[in-house]
Amino acid sequence: MGLRAYLLKRLLNTFILIIFVITLNFIIFELMPGLQGAIVNLISNPRGNEDPARQQALLKLYGLCSSFVNGTCVPEPIWNRFGTYFVNMLSFRFGDSFQTGQPVLHDMIGTGKLQNTLLLLGTATALSLLIGTLLGVLVASRRGSLLDSGWVTTSLVTFSLPTFYMGLIFILVFAQWLQWFPAGSVTPAEWALGLPPLSQQILVRLQHLFLPALTLTLFFYGGHLLLTRATMLEALSEDYIVTARAKGVSQRSILFKHALKNAALPLVTNAALSFGSILSGAIITETVFNWDGLGLWIWNSIGWKDFPVMQAIFYIVALCVIAANLFSDIIYGVLDPRIKYQ
Amino acid sequence: MAQQRKVPYRLVRFKKFLLQMLKNKMAFTGIAIVVFFTFLAVAAPLLTPYTPQGSIVSGQLDPPSWYPAVAGGRWSLNTQFSGLAVQGSSGVQVSVLPGQTENAVNFSISSPQPGSSITVTKTISYPFNGPPQSFLGTVEVIPTGLNGTAGASSTVNIQQGPNAYLLWQTTLVHGDYAPTTSLTYPLNFATTGYSAPAIIFNTKTSYEYVLNIVLPAGVSQATFIVRNFRLLLFGTVWGLFGTDNVGRDLFTQFVYGAQVSLLVGLLATFIGIGVGLVVGLMAGYLGRLVDEVLMRFTDMMLVIPGLPLLIVLVAVLGPSLWNIIGVLGFLGWMGFARIIRSQVLSLRERPFIEAAKASGAGTGYITTKHIFPNIVSLTYVNLALSVPSAIVGEAALSFLGLGPQTVVSWGQMLELAHGAASSAGLLWWWIIPPGLGIAILSLSFILMGYALDEMFNPKLRKRQ
Repeated sequence: MGLRAYLLKRLLNTFILIIFVITLNFIIFELMPGLQGAIVNLISNPRGNEDPARQQALLKLYGLCSSFVNGTCVPEPIWNRFGTYFVNMLSFRFGDSFQTGQPVLHDMIGTGKLQNTLLLLGTATALSLLIGTLLGVLVASRRGSLLDSGWVTTSLVTFSLPTFYMGLIFILVFAQWLQWFPAGSVTPAEWALGLPPLSQQILVRLQHLFLPALTLTLFFYGGHLLLTRATMLEALSEDYIVTARAKGVSQRSILFKHALKNAALPLVTNAALSFGSILSGAIITETVFNWDGLGLWIWNSIGWKDFPVMQAIFYIVALCVIAANLFSDIIYGVLDPRIKYQ
Repeated sequence: MAQQRKVPYRLVRFKKFLLQMLKNKMAFTGIAIVVFFTFLAVAAPLLTPYTPQGSIVSGQLDPPSWYPAVAGGRWSLNTQFSGLAVQGSSGVQVSVLPGQTENAVNFSISSPQPGSSITVTKTISYPFNGPPQSFLGTVEVIPTGLNGTAGASSTVNIQQGPNAYLLWQTTLVHGDYAPTTSLTYPLNFATTGYSAPAIIFNTKTSYEYVLNIVLPAGVSQATFIVRNFRLLLFGTVWGLFGTDNVGRDLFTQFVYGAQVSLLVGLLATFIGIGVGLVVGLMAGYLGRLVDEVLMRFTDMMLVIPGLPLLIVLVAVLGPSLWNIIGVLGFLGWMGFARIIRSQVLSLRERPFIEAAKASGAGTGYITTKHIFPNIVSLTYVNLALSVPSAIVGEAALSFLGLGPQTVVSWGQMLELAHGAASSAGLLWWWIIPPGLGIAILSLSFILMGYALDEMFNPKLRKRQ
């Protein structure tokens, strides 16, 4: 099996996963009684219009009824509904948000929610990978020292603290007591009136990003640290390290060129696989810090019973995780010579 | 006979196991913490007389009472009221009916002249120089025998020397009700009220809480039932953990929160382990197509991001305690199923299974009698290691406002604290205990899991 066959198999797997996610979405949102209730709720809501024509139009729009005979609903056959749903999901047509009446995709991208989430996620992922790997290499090289046990304990502790708790503590200490950083939101409220010069914009944005990114980073560096440490310890006990030492290769070169290179494979896989859990962490962190991203949005949608928004967010988030998995598979295939030359 | 020998042997083995656990430092710490929290959860009604959601015990946002050593000038609620006393103006005969308590009295009066009045009084010697954070006065009066009159005017005051601070003023009407029904019907006067405490309670002196009733003209005889006659002064500090923004005891909420965390954590884990066991055993032992289908499904479930799926499911199903337990349980089996499967795959090829097959044992018999006992230790380890994710999962859901609304949980406490932060800021005594509870309880299960792993896994066992 060469690299091409491997990649093809992974791609096929990705497609099966996407179909699975859409089916799951369909079961949760379309087959469980929630949606119909939400529509009825929406119509009886003062904001909605109570006339039956509108109600029927909505029920048709969401594919619950195919037509109306004397005002009673003729239910759409389930396979037709699934077909429509499937096509809608693949073409990113999520319907209109119950809250704003706008198309969900517009609310997601036009207002910068997806971008905000990706900014937070990207920063936290990059930082936690960098810090976790470097510290992991460091403590592995001094196995059994106080430094080693200290960092292992610290990362276990930050790992077991819930993200939202860590976030609340940071707000309490850094925003409220010390007042070093703002307690929440992506940008200050007064920016709605007019934007300051660009240099100041960047500075203030970074200030706002700091606490949520720190929370997420602290939650995730621990896992990377422990894994790096474990794989590094294994690599450092190999014979070729002894050879390198005997040759007089510098410690840094041994650590990063000889050991880390060989220990990197599980790290890459883990980085992509932990993307799902870092996304979960981001949802909570966003609500703690009032960060206007997908997490805060799904939280707001719960109260509104805004099903189109909820299913869109769930779908997009799942797609992100699937994409991360595919990405890790590709990198794995490229990095691991065993796959290329099999 | 065989059965009789088996039981003591099991007991001995269990005792050995327990002793071994207690010798292990990690396991001992974990067990101690879990026992402590279990005690809190079980003994909650004994540890605190209040209910977590109902009782208002003190002022709003009071810090814990050990704290004012730092802040100074704060005090806890410890008001010493006298019991109530009933007194008529001159010429009025008051006869108190039996059944008087601290806060309730029934009395009938007879008065020869119009315009006579009756007062019901409670006194307190207020021991502080500063005002209480808030106070709450309550009273219920049910008059009978006022038929056909304009009604008795009544006032409730707090009096201090010559100063009287009016809390309410109402006219007590009997109406058309017959005297016999007066106990249940004409509840003419039942009010509660808050007022600015700093105006009234500004010196260290004695105060009176007074209900004053003036009889209408032409009434010479009437009966009054006074109930729930109390004045509560709420202090500026409270208890072990302080109070929330309604004035509820945070210690009570914390203790009852332990109940929810343990219940959800354990039950959800049992469900998850049960499902994982069944899936893993089936996939591992039956193999072929069953294995392929089940493991594909497991892999796909593993890829789906956990928290969004939890949120969506609970939002659709409704946020009840049992829904949350079920959803957490049915989303928490995948990792365990994989572990079990791989273990069963290796067990399946062992000679003793072949021997069992050769002697005619069926699939059910082999899985329950031969394979299951060999994976029990794995089950214990994963049981301990899965509880934290269920506890944190429930806390996260509650923090997002998707928790059960009928009970108080730690996540919900954090949610309320976070929600109230916009007006009062985050308060350390409100957010530190519940979060620490989640973290420490989770950590203790992790410790137990590691210790169990060390005991069962020969690779990790230290040589003695």
